[in-house]
Amino acid sequence: MDAAPKETIITGTNSASVSTDTVRRGPAARVHGGGGFRVLRTGKLREITINQLFLLPVALVFIVLFVIPLARTFYWSLTDFNGYSIETTLVGLKNYRIILHDPAMLSGLSFTLIYVLGTTLLITVLAIPLAVLLNERFFARSLVRSIIFFPSIPSLAILGLVWTFILSPLQSGAVNSILGVLGIGPVSWLGNDTLAQLSVIMVAVWSGTGWHAILYLAYLQSIPVEYSEVARIDGATPRQQFFHITLPLLTPAIVVSEFLLITSGLKVYDLPFTLTGGGPGFATRTITQSIVVSGISQAKYGLASALAVMFTVAVGAFAGVQIVASRAIERRVL
Amino acid sequence: MHKRTLKKILLTVIMLGIACVVGLPLYYIVVNTLKTQQETLQSPFGVPQKLYLGNYKSVLATTDILGSFLNTIYITVAAVLLQLLIGAMAAFGMIMRATAFNRIFGLVLLLGFVVPGQATLIPLYLMLVDVRLVDTRNGLVVMYLGGSIFCYFLIHGYLRTLPYELIEAAKIDGAGAGQIFRLIVLPLIRPILVTVGVFQTMWVWNDFLTPNIFISSPEKRTIVLQVYSAVGQYSTDWPAFMTLSVIALLPIVVFFIFTQRHIVSGLLAGGIKG
Repeated sequence: MDAAPKETIITGTNSASVSTDTVRRGPAARVHGGGGFRVLRTGKLREITINQLFLLPVALVFIVLFVIPLARTFYWSLTDFNGYSIETTLVGLKNYRIILHDPAMLSGLSFTLIYVLGTTLLITVLAIPLAVLLNERFFARSLVRSIIFFPSIPSLAILGLVWTFILSPLQSGAVNSILGVLGIGPVSWLGNDTLAQLSVIMVAVWSGTGWHAILYLAYLQSIPVEYSEVARIDGATPRQQFFHITLPLLTPAIVVSEFLLITSGLKVYDLPFTLTGGGPGFATRTITQSIVVSGISQAKYGLASALAVMFTVAVGAFAGVQIVASRAIERRVL
Repeated sequence: MHKRTLKKILLTVIMLGIACVVGLPLYYIVVNTLKTQQETLQSPFGVPQKLYLGNYKSVLATTDILGSFLNTIYITVAAVLLQLLIGAMAAFGMIMRATAFNRIFGLVLLLGFVVPGQATLIPLYLMLVDVRLVDTRNGLVVMYLGGSIFCYFLIHGYLRTLPYELIEAAKIDGAGAGQIFRLIVLPLIRPILVTVGVFQTMWVWNDFLTPNIFISSPEKRTIVLQVYSAVGQYSTDWPAFMTLSVIALLPIVVFFIFTQRHIVSGLLAGGIKG
């Protein structure tokens, strides 16, 4: 596995520089002839067709699962289509106007933004120092790494359900029983708007920090030890080493990590849905839940499609900005 | 030397402390599956006074866990294998015929990367209704084929770094495209197939949004959906619900132990999934 490509497709950078050692040792190495001369083959057309056929399945997937649905979503967003009526009329931008005035939709938007901001900031601030610590020498290191990494592996939907019990408002709920020992009365964690939002974010941070710490750790381990050794000989304090050497060298990892946090945060559905059901009221409803509720439960396809279009444009715009920004950052740092 | 050992011990204490805080909820869940309901209420964090397996017996008897595991295994295996096959074929086709048209097509495929699943959910739902694939296991597999595009990008990135002479040599030796793909390319890209496969398995296995929308028959539920559906039934019986969750998470724990290495190398391969 040491030959995994170091190409970061997501950030759009092309830094492919993988040793081909494994390949040269591969079974086909023996076949290696002296290429370089062209042989005019008969049945060239047939060969081209066969090669082109390899791209057919992915083209089908792309057209059926992306292009057609996306085109429909866009078209429906301009209509009052409800799935049943035979006559569908174009209503222009009416759906978009409705969304911008609907408190349920707007709260979905605002909580999603709060969630993205909260999880991104907290996870980043926790994961980088944690990765630095995990890179030091101590006993039971691989066990500690595994425990910290593990909460990001199971389904967030199940974790959300389990946390509803841990955060139960009853005295017997796990968190409240700890607070009870400290003399603090039972807190209704999921019953109050702010606390519910906070709870969702905290559970997400609990689950996600380990993943991102391991991501940073993987990058940290590729930084040559000499850098920090030279710095230490030159008399740099640990704090100076962290801010002036480690952190700048981690920039590519930060770019990747932030991108993942923000895109997955914008799409979040499982955790708030199973932990709070979007409540109380609409306090923890996310954009995705709004799309599902209005689109599938209520069959307001036009409205849900308009929301989906706005959402896609936002995610796309963000991805574009991110790619441009990360290229600029990497050019400056590397 | 002495100072260094002291620092190491101090750091060990700190790190074990952090691990305990992170692991506490997991400990809480597991330990309560071995207690009676009454004991859970009295001492939520205590070690069980005597081993009680009643929760496991009753949960296994009342919930069709085996059935949902089989559903999840079928869906995951079928979806991930197809994704890898489609992705690998596309990557190979792109290497063999890197024409201008195909390159542009490769760029356009990036769209499948940027477009969030939520944007296509409703049309896809109605489409599956039309072809009678809603509420079927195969319908879910079809939905997950969208992941092939992600596989394509990672496999293509890997394949591109391999020397093209390997393929060229086989061509000269008279191998057809199918033979080159099967006998040369597939063995060579095994490492990336494993890495991508691990990530896609985690995604499909853990997914909740898609089964929650597309599956309505109890006997077709995936394991995550099964746990979600049981929450009402066990709302007062906490230990029973924890037990169900622990059983549901067990395969993922085993999976984690065996694939942790691949997950970490996948993280370096370009930061996959959040």
